[in-house]
Amino acid sequence: MDAKTENSIREAQLESFGRLMAGMAHDMKNHLGIIRESNGLMGDILEMEPLVADEVMVERFQKSIAAIERRIVIAAKMMHHLSGMAHRPDTPYSSFLINDLIEEEYVFLERFARLKQIEVRFEFGDDVPAIISDPALLQHVFYRVYTSCLELLEEKQTLTIVTDKEDRNAVILFRFSGVLQMEPETVRDDLLLAAVAKLQGEITVIDNDQRTSDMKLLFSSMNV
Amino acid sequence: MSMPTVLIIDDEVEFASTLCQRLKLRGMATVDVHSGVEGLDALKKMNPDIIILDLKMPDMSGLDVLEKIKELDSTIEVIMLTGHGSAGSGVEAKKRGAFAYVMKPLDIAELMAIIESAHKKRGKG
Repeated sequence: MDAKTENSIREAQLESFGRLMAGMAHDMKNHLGIIRESNGLMGDILEMEPLVADEVMVERFQKSIAAIERRIVIAAKMMHHLSGMAHRPDTPYSSFLINDLIEEEYVFLERFARLKQIEVRFEFGDDVPAIISDPALLQHVFYRVYTSCLELLEEKQTLTIVTDKEDRNAVILFRFSGVLQMEPETVRDDLLLAAVAKLQGEITVIDNDQRTSDMKLLFSSMNV
Repeated sequence: MSMPTVLIIDDEVEFASTLCQRLKLRGMATVDVHSGVEGLDALKKMNPDIIILDLKMPDMSGLDVLEKIKELDSTIEVIMLTGHGSAGSGVEAKKRGAFAYVMKPLDIAELMAIIESAHKKRGKG
């Protein structure tokens, strides 16, 4: 099989995967909706139709109802963003804001930092220009660079993710606290470079006077 | 202040019936039905102030049901329910005359505030 056909199969496979994920997210939101309403109804009954005289028992139920509600809100947010991500390949070339894209994806990336006990901070620029590109591919690049950065960090260290405007370009900086021995090759690989090139972007490593180091992704917004 | 009469149209039976009970507990006369056709039928019988309408149903799309509702009585306020990640369909519904759209899972406080606004718009709240 030639490379072009192989690539087309892979793209069709990704599209199918995205559609399956979107469908699953939609169904999950329905299930969560029912759980939330049922939970809410239990709370309403306890509050509005106090049939139970045992106040301690009522309080225990209310605590449990509140815990379910909190988890539903978190799960619903995840499903909302999963649905958004799964729909991204529907519009391979579209105008989008990288802040939105990162916020959507980070819901699923947070756990990687949590498991490694790395603190991740965000400094989102207010005037980062929109770019026209492939949002799903950019999320793939973000995931790769982010996980590579986590590999380089030790427990209790901090990774700061900055978005900014540079001339007419949108920039994402992965900033490491303290001095870090980071060679450009450490976080680069051929497929990542190819993906960045396809997005007409650039990836560079910057040493900020040995105080901090940045992994910088730059994307042109000239087409907007 | 009079309480609004509410019709819920959603093919998710458990969701619709539970929401129906919650609105009843808050003093509203509420009926739930589970398809677009049933919804249009119930509309003619009960003449509700407000309709809570699911966007995606197997027999008719929520947008089609919305159009029919507005043909039958343009003063009824319709609140669309959407479970999709994109708010695009909700925005489209608003263009077609829906009062508002809310995402599932619902926040009951948010829904109550929207119902109250819709009822006021009808001059009954």
